[in-house]
Formats: sequence, structure tokens, C-alpha cells
Amino acid sequence: MITMRKVGKTYGTDKPALHDVDVDIEQGEFVFLVGHSGSGKSTFIRLLQRELLPSRGQIVVAGQDIVKLKNWKVPYLRRNIGCVFQDFKLLPNKTSYENVAFALEVIGRSKHVIRTQVPEVLRLVGLEDKMESYPDELSGGEQQRVSIARAFVNRPPILLADEPTGNLDPATSLGIMSLFNRINKTGTTVLVATHDREMVDSMRKRVIALENGYVVRDQHRGVYGYGD
Amino acid sequence: MAINVGYFIKESVTSFRRNWVMSLGAVITIYLSLLLVGLSMVTGYLVSEVVKSVEDKVSIQIFLKDGAATADVEALQGWLLRDELVEAVNYVSKEQALERFKEEMAGSPEIIDSMRENPLPASLDVTLNDPRTVQEMVERIKAQELFVQVCDRPDDPEQSLKYGQQIVDRLFAFTRIVRLVGVVFVAMLASVSLIFINNTIRLAIYARRKEIGIMRLVGASNSFIRAPFLLEGVLQSLLGAGIAILTIVAIQAAVLPRLQEALPFLPVDVSTAAMLQLSAVLLGAGILIGLLGSGFALRRYLKV
Repeated sequence: MITMRKVGKTYGTDKPALHDVDVDIEQGEFVFLVGHSGSGKSTFIRLLQRELLPSRGQIVVAGQDIVKLKNWKVPYLRRNIGCVFQDFKLLPNKTSYENVAFALEVIGRSKHVIRTQVPEVLRLVGLEDKMESYPDELSGGEQQRVSIARAFVNRPPILLADEPTGNLDPATSLGIMSLFNRINKTGTTVLVATHDREMVDSMRKRVIALENGYVVRDQHRGVYGYGD
Repeated sequence: MAINVGYFIKESVTSFRRNWVMSLGAVITIYLSLLLVGLSMVTGYLVSEVVKSVEDKVSIQIFLKDGAATADVEALQGWLLRDELVEAVNYVSKEQALERFKEEMAGSPEIIDSMRENPLPASLDVTLNDPRTVQEMVERIKAQELFVQVCDRPDDPEQSLKYGQQIVDRLFAFTRIVRLVGVVFVAMLASVSLIFINNTIRLAIYARRKEIGIMRLVGASNSFIRAPFLLEGVLQSLLGAGIAILTIVAIQAAVLPRLQEALPFLPVDVSTAAMLQLSAVLLGAGILIGLLGSGFALRRYLKV
């Protein structure tokens, strides 16, 4: 589902943010991407979204070579990738329902599709009672659930999450992670960048560790790391 | 994506209202520049109509000296009539010339009273088949010996000829200046409108940056993201063009009849066809300015 070959990324003339990254992620995998701030996690994620182009190497996402992908095709690539962020990125003047529906409206889905899929995905994330609530009426965990619903409503084969629990307390984070787990069970490939040690250690999923731009560990049923 | 037309219009109108001061500024500058374009077009149209009517009346007057031999005058008349450029030749005697002058000057009898004798020369009025051949015919007449013999001012035969070429030339020079000034003003105003639209759209993009970010995230196509902004620019300039057209129609209705009254001898009128053409040009120019202005803004400020 995701393949990176000898991928390097350099910003300006600084030292590289990513070095010779070789990663294969199969369909249906659940992967944690761990590392300190500045280790290259965000660069990794943004390369997959094609927010950035690599300086070297090849990246294949959902069967497409995204380095050679033409600019006008990028939106169609992104429809295959759901994204979740630390800051939720919800529109404050729209309700939960409207925030999720917006994602379908702007890719031209019909009203009928919107009316059936939005309530369904909000039920999946456990917010069937909060459909008409605005983001500032929701707790952080609930807002993150709305944003996950928005990322997943189009049933993308890949879900990327960049520090999804960075703003949440441990109990809430646990709920979010089990939601990712449920989404993963539907066959969706899930990649979560995090530095939430407890979470990674308790889930026992594949762990890819980055340090100063190098992949220093790629371990199935792994833990966050040793001593650091 | 026919289903989305409603969405685009809704988005554009919302954005227009959210940003109404800048939008109004854009509309007003477009209105002013298109109004100027329209007015200079109307002026040009009127002047060319006037030129046409003057051309119709173009004739050559040959002034004859007092006491010129009748045989010579008749010979000149005969020679003129044989020329293929000439349509007709009309002899005007001193008395007829005075009558005409008195008619024209009926408004100021003191001039007529002050004339003790008839100062006006007799003349031959030459009408041409084609007004554009005036200059050529004048040259032929000047080269004719009979003309020099009978003309009013043998020392300077040129002075004995009066023809419309000078008027026509002057009118054309005037039109050229009007056009030039118009073009300069319009170019300046068009750039101002472009800058204004550019700015409004930039603000609109800024106001909606969160939504744009999310649209990109979930894979909205580039054209889908851009369309509302392009439409907003076009709406602004269409509004400006619409008001400009209305203003010109109003000016035409209010001013032209009075102008016609003041200049009864000139055809001061703009045909409906010309007005329709003018409206089409203004709307087209408006759409172009709108597309260009918002297009520039999108290229500079909206990275998709």
C-alpha cells in the first residue's frame, strides 16, 4: 500500500530531514511512527500526502508513483488518504455533521450519498448524539472523533494521523486509539505518528522509529523504545 | 459538476458580503473604467457619424472675381461637367450669395445693416460623386488655366477655393485625440481595477484559508477550489459593467436630445444596434478584467 525506496528529503541547505528511508507497509497494517520532535515524523507524513516532494528516491502510495504524479492528479490521490491532525482542523462555524459533510461536498458527492454516509460514520465514531453540536461545544476527544469521521467518511484505503492524541489526556487518547484500531479492522491501512510512549507500548503494533532522519528500528509487535 | 453551480454562487455571494467594502471598491473602479470606455466609444461613434454627414455635404466652391467674362465662366463650367469626378455644377450669382448670407445671418441684422455694398463673390458650387476625391479634384481645378483667369484672387488661386477637406481633417484629428486620451485613461483605470480585484480576492482567500486547507486535505480538485474565487471576481466586474451600461443609457436619454436641439444641423443619435454592441463590449471587457484580476490573485496567493 505504501512503499518508500531510498527516500531523502533536504530542506534548503540544512542537513537532511530524512535519509535513505526504505519502508514497505502492506494493506491492512497498523503502524506507529515514533521519534522525538525533529526526527522527521512530520516530513514522513507530509511526503505521503504529497504536501512535499522528496529530494531523492521513489514513493508509491495506493499503486501510484506520487513523485511522478502530475499536479492536477494530486487531489485524486488525496481522496485515497484520510488525514487526522493534532489540532483537529475543524471549521468552527459548522456543526459536526456539516464538518463531515463538507469533505464529501467538495469532492462532488451527491446529496443522497452525503445524507446516508455522514450519519453512519458519526455513529461509527460514537457521536450520533452530537451531530448538531459545534466544535466549541465538544470536548477535545469528541472534536478529534469528528475529525476522524471526516477523514474516514470517504472510506479511504489509507488513514494517516499526525500526533492525533497530542492535545488529549491519556484516558481520551485510549478511546481514540481503539477507534483507530476499529477502523484498521475494516481493512484500512493506518499509520499513526506519535510520541505517546504508553499508547505504543500498550497496543503492540508494528513500530517504525526515526532518529535524526534515519529509520533506526522497524519492529513488528514493537514498543516505543529503550531508555529515551 | 453541474450540481455545484449553486454551491459556487452561494460561496461567491457570501464572500462578497463578508468583504463588502473591498468588493464595493472593486465594483466602483470597474464601473468607472468601463463607463469611460463606454463614453469614449459613444463619442467616437457620434464623431464618425458627424464626419459621415459632413462628407455627404462636401462640395468645392470656386469663387469668381467680379466682372469675370461670362464666356470664360461657362467654359469652366463645361469643363467641370465633363470631368468624371463631378456630379453637378451650380452657378451662384453675387445676388444669390447675398440672399443666402442674409438668411444665415437672420439672427444678427446689425451685420446685414452695416453692409453698404455686396461684398460677396459669385461662385460655382461643385458637387462630387465621391467625397473622398475632393483633394484630387482640387488639384485638377488648380491646374486648369480657365480657373486662374476667372478666380476671385488671381494672385493666390488657392484662396479662391473652399472645400470640406479641412473640416474633415480637423474632425479626424479631434477623434484621434479623444481616442488617445480615452485609451490612456482606460488603461490606467483598468490596471487600478485589476489591482482592486486582486486585493479583494486575496482577502477572500485569506478569510477562507482554513476551509481551503481542508478542501485540499480531503482531495477537492483544484478547479473546485478556484471556481468560487474566479466567479467572485467576475461577479464584481459584471456588476460594475451593468451599472456602467445603465449610466450610459441614462446619459444618452438625458443628454442627446438636448445636444440635438443645440446642433440641429448634425445627426446626433446613437442607434439601438450600436448601443447593443457597446453593451456587449462592456460586458465582455468586464468579464475579462474579472477573470484576469482573480486569476492573478489565485496564482499568487492560492497554492493548490
